[in-house]
Amino acid sequence: MSILMASVGFGLITSAVLTIAAVGFTLQFAVTDVLNLAFAAVMTAGAFVAYWVNQLGASIWLGLVVAMIACSVLSVALNLGVYAPFQRRGSSPITIVIVSLGMALIIEFGIEAIVGGINVSYKMSQGGTLRSGGLILTTVQLTIIAISLVVMAGAHSLLRYTKLGKAMRATAANRSLARNCGIRTGRVITFTWALTGALCGLAGTVFAIDVGSFGPTSTDLFVVLILAAVFLGGPGHAYGAMLGAVLIGLATEVSAAYIAPDYKYVIAFVALLATLAVRPSGLLGART
Amino acid sequence: MSRATEPVAGAAGHTQSAGNHKTTYRRKRRMLAAIAAVALAGGLAACGSSTASGSSGPLVFADVAPFSGPDAALGPTYLVSCEGAANAINKAGGVLGHTISCTSADTRGDPADAVPAVGSLYSRTKNLVLVIGCTSDEAAAVVPVINSHKTVMFCMTGQSEFDHVHFGYFYRLVPPDLAESYAMTVIAKNLGYKRIALAFGNDIGSQTFVQPAQAAIAKAGMTVVANETLDLNSTTFRTEAEKIVQAHPDAIMTEALGSADPTLFAEIKQLNGGKMIPIIGTSAAISPSFFQASARAVGGADFASNFHADNLVTATSGPAYQAFTKALLAVKGKVNGAQTGDFSTYFTAPGAVHLYDGMNLAALAMIAAKSTQTAKWQPYLQTIGDGVPGAVAVNSFAQGVSELKAGKKIRYIGPGGPTSFDSFHDSPGIFQIDTYNATGTVQVSGSITAAQLRSVS
Repeated sequence: MSILMASVGFGLITSAVLTIAAVGFTLQFAVTDVLNLAFAAVMTAGAFVAYWVNQLGASIWLGLVVAMIACSVLSVALNLGVYAPFQRRGSSPITIVIVSLGMALIIEFGIEAIVGGINVSYKMSQGGTLRSGGLILTTVQLTIIAISLVVMAGAHSLLRYTKLGKAMRATAANRSLARNCGIRTGRVITFTWALTGALCGLAGTVFAIDVGSFGPTSTDLFVVLILAAVFLGGPGHAYGAMLGAVLIGLATEVSAAYIAPDYKYVIAFVALLATLAVRPSGLLGART
Repeated sequence: MSRATEPVAGAAGHTQSAGNHKTTYRRKRRMLAAIAAVALAGGLAACGSSTASGSSGPLVFADVAPFSGPDAALGPTYLVSCEGAANAINKAGGVLGHTISCTSADTRGDPADAVPAVGSLYSRTKNLVLVIGCTSDEAAAVVPVINSHKTVMFCMTGQSEFDHVHFGYFYRLVPPDLAESYAMTVIAKNLGYKRIALAFGNDIGSQTFVQPAQAAIAKAGMTVVANETLDLNSTTFRTEAEKIVQAHPDAIMTEALGSADPTLFAEIKQLNGGKMIPIIGTSAAISPSFFQASARAVGGADFASNFHADNLVTATSGPAYQAFTKALLAVKGKVNGAQTGDFSTYFTAPGAVHLYDGMNLAALAMIAAKSTQTAKWQPYLQTIGDGVPGAVAVNSFAQGVSELKAGKKIRYIGPGGPTSFDSFHDSPGIFQIDTYNATGTVQVSGSITAAQLRSVS
C-alpha cells in the first residue's frame, strides 16, 4: 500500500511538470497550426539558461524567470524565422512537422556543442521532506505542483475571461473567419508563440529542478510524453492536455511500482492506444 | 533570307556541332570511365588490405564511441587518450614518416546509429589504421563491420560473446563484464554487506552485468533484495528509488550512465531521510563527468564517502605512468567534450589507460614491421605486447622506438600493465578497488585477487 501511495505522489509530480508543458504545447498547436516537435528542445534551452543564471550565483527562481523570457523570445524567433515562411509558402502540415523535427535536432545538438555531453544540476536545496499517508514529497516538489496549479488556473482564466483568450480560441477554431470578424490573427499568433514559449521555459526549468541532473538530450523522451498527454486529452484542448498529463504521469509511476520499471512508458502508451481506439479524438475532443 | 532556309542551315550547323560534341563527349566518357576504373581498382585494393602504405599524410586513429546520449562521457575520455598518445608519438618522430591524427565517430551508444557512423567514418577517412573505443553499447554491431574492413581495433566492450567468437582484427585489454560483476560482488563481501540491491540501466552494456551479479551474490552468501532496471531515457526514478529504499539494502550495485545514476542517487537520498545508501559501481563510473554529475546530485563529500567501484589495476607511479600522464596533460583543455571536472581522473579511467596502451602497441608494431600495412604489422601486436625471450621492456612509445632502432626486440609495458593475449586477442587485467575523495580525485583503496574472483564465480 505504501509503495502505491508513494508512486501516486511521484505521479503527481511528473503530472505537474507534464501539465505545464502539455498546456503550452497544445495551445501552440491549436492557435498556430504548428505541431512543434522542437518544443522539448526549447525546454532544454530554457533549462540551460536557468542553469547559467544559477551558476552566476542567482537563485534558481530568478533563473526560471530569465528562462521564461529567453524561451519566449526564442519561440517567437523560431516562428518568424522558420515556421511562418514555410506556412506562407503553403507547406503541408507534415512538412512543418518535419521542419520542426529538424529544428529540434539543431537546437539539441547546438546546446550539446556549447555545453558538451555532460549532465549538470542546479545549485539549490530541495527543502524538507513531507510524509503523509504514504506520500513523500519535498518542499520543492510541492512548489512545482503549486506552479502547475497556477498555470492551469491561469490558462483557464486567460481562455475563458479575457478578450485575448477569446481571440485565441477564435483563431484556433477558424483563422479566416476570425480575421474576417476583425481579430488581428497575426498578432494573436505572435502572442501565442510568446506565451507558449514562456510556458516552455517554465516547463524546462521545473523539469530540470525535478529531475535533479539533466543534459542536452534529457527531454528526448519527454516530448513523447507531452504528445501522449496532448493526444490523450484531445489535441488543441487545454483542459484535455491537463487531464492527459495527469493520467500519463500517474500511469507511468504506478506501473513502475508493480511492473518492470523499464516498461513504465510502454504501459502508459498502451493505455493511450486503448483510449484512442475507443475515442480517436481524445478524452475531451469532439466525438467523431 | 527566307524563313525556309534559315532553319535548314541552322539544322546543318547544329548537326555538325552535335557531332563534334558527341566526339568530345565520347572521349570524355572514356576518360571518366578510365579514371573510375583506376579509382575503383584503388578503392578495392584499399578495401582488401586496409593499408596506408604508400599514401602520404597522417595515419588516422579513430575513436568509435558514444559522444552523445546517456554514455556520452565515454567518447571524449577515449579521445583524450587518443590525442595524448598521438601527440606523444608525433613528438617522438611519428611512424615511418607519418604523423598520427585522431578522428571520431559518434555512435550515440546505439547500434542503429553506430553502423552508419562507422560507414561514414570509412567513407571520409583516408589512412585509417586503427579503431579504438567500440564499447558494449555498439560493439556487437560495429565489430563485424570494422573486422570486414580489416582494420585493427582495440575495444572497450566487456561483452562475453567476444570471449569465444573470433574476429581476427579485434583486440581487448579489458576483462569481460561478468568478471566485473564478480569484482563488485567481492567488494560488497569485503565490506561486510549482506543485502544487495541491483540498479542497472536498460542498455546492452549495463544489462550484461545483471545475471552474473545475481549468481555471484548468491554464491557469496548475500541476498538480492531489489532488482530495478532503469530506463536510461527516463528522467526520474522515484518509484524505483522508493522500492530500493523499502527493501533496506546494505548497498546498491549499479551501472546506469548519463543522468540516470546521479538522478537515482539524489532520489534515494531524498527518500531515505537524507541518507545515502552505499554504492558499488563499475569501472565506467571512474570518469570526471560521472563524479561531477553525482557530486552535484548528492554532494561531493556524501557521494565520495558512500562510493566504491571496481577498476582494472593500472600504474599510479613509475616510468609508464609518468609518460602516460605527461602525454595526456599535453592535450589538457584541447579536446572537445573533455573539459569537465578533475582532469587527473583520466589517469585512472580504464578507457584512457588501456586504449593509450593499445595505440602505442599499434604504433610500435608498425615500426617493428617497417610497414603500415595491417597484414604486416598486426602480428607484432602480440610479440611486442606479450614479449619474446630476450625482449627489452619499454614503457613508452619513444623508448620503444629508440630500442627498435638499436636493433633490439621489445616488450611494451604501459600504464595498464603487461598484456597476455589469448587466441581471441583478449588480455584481461586484474582488479583494484577505487574510491573518490570529496573533490573527485580517484584513490585506490584495495585490490581484488584472482582467488577472490574465483570464490564468487
